[in-house]
Amino acid sequence: MARTFQVGDTFTHVRECDLYRPIYYAGASGDFNPIHIDPEVGKVAGLDGVILQGLCTLGWAVEAVAVFVGDPGRIRKVKARFSRPVRPEDVVTFEGKVTAIEADRLTTEVTATNQRGEAVLKGAVVEASIG
Amino acid sequence: MAIDKRFIGREYGPYTYTIGAEKLREFTLAVGGAHPAAGTPGEPPEHVSPLLYDDTAAKQGPYGDLIAFPSFAVVFAIRPFGAAVADPELGVNLLMLVHGEQELEFLDVMRPGDVMTTTGRIENIYVKAGKEFVVVNTESRNQRGDVVVKGVWTGVVRA
Repeated sequence: MARTFQVGDTFTHVRECDLYRPIYYAGASGDFNPIHIDPEVGKVAGLDGVILQGLCTLGWAVEAVAVFVGDPGRIRKVKARFSRPVRPEDVVTFEGKVTAIEADRLTTEVTATNQRGEAVLKGAVVEASIG
Repeated sequence: MAIDKRFIGREYGPYTYTIGAEKLREFTLAVGGAHPAAGTPGEPPEHVSPLLYDDTAAKQGPYGDLIAFPSFAVVFAIRPFGAAVADPELGVNLLMLVHGEQELEFLDVMRPGDVMTTTGRIENIYVKAGKEFVVVNTESRNQRGDVVVKGVWTGVVRA
């Protein structure tokens, strides 16, 4: 059944960075930069412990839109700035809004904020095909 | 010490990567929030599309096979960026390197068995607000020569 979308439609997706998520993501992605898996290295790097791979956070923004449009194969573009690290036990809330629909392309702007209300992504835009 | 701008234009690759079904599942479920254990990538959380992990559902679905979670592309497409920031001639302090920005464009879905070839080029090197930025553009083609993923990778070296 074809679903219709309108400019102004909103959606929300919440993800928790559980304690071992940076390690699970390291295993799956190959990103074993020690700042993601070794708290001691994280401290030496001035990060106060490990931080989640930014690309995992980006993946969650993609997931938010994939769930909204109902098909991950329709994602066409994502871009974002990583403005603040996500740490284990942070809860990130993704709030998206459809800002444009042109031909078969839907554009969404997505905010991502931690449990303290701080933005962990900035300028996040995800586009999906709805044709 | 600033990174020398003369490295703008330096190219890395081609790098070839064959997409495997289990790797797709592992990645999908790691992003999706599953808890992997020995022998299993974990139980799929409800919000994860079966097109990404369930062979039967995927084969009956719109793509005829499992597809990659879109950002799976980073697994192979990161390679030129990784090579650039680790290039001894650039002299980037990896401990001070963070991922500043990312852009990915997906022109098609990726399925198990696809053979992806990625090339990359240092697009820019600049200093802003006392931090150094290295921008690498990548392009990944499948075995048919079609461009499937384009990436813009921005690394930031903290002062």
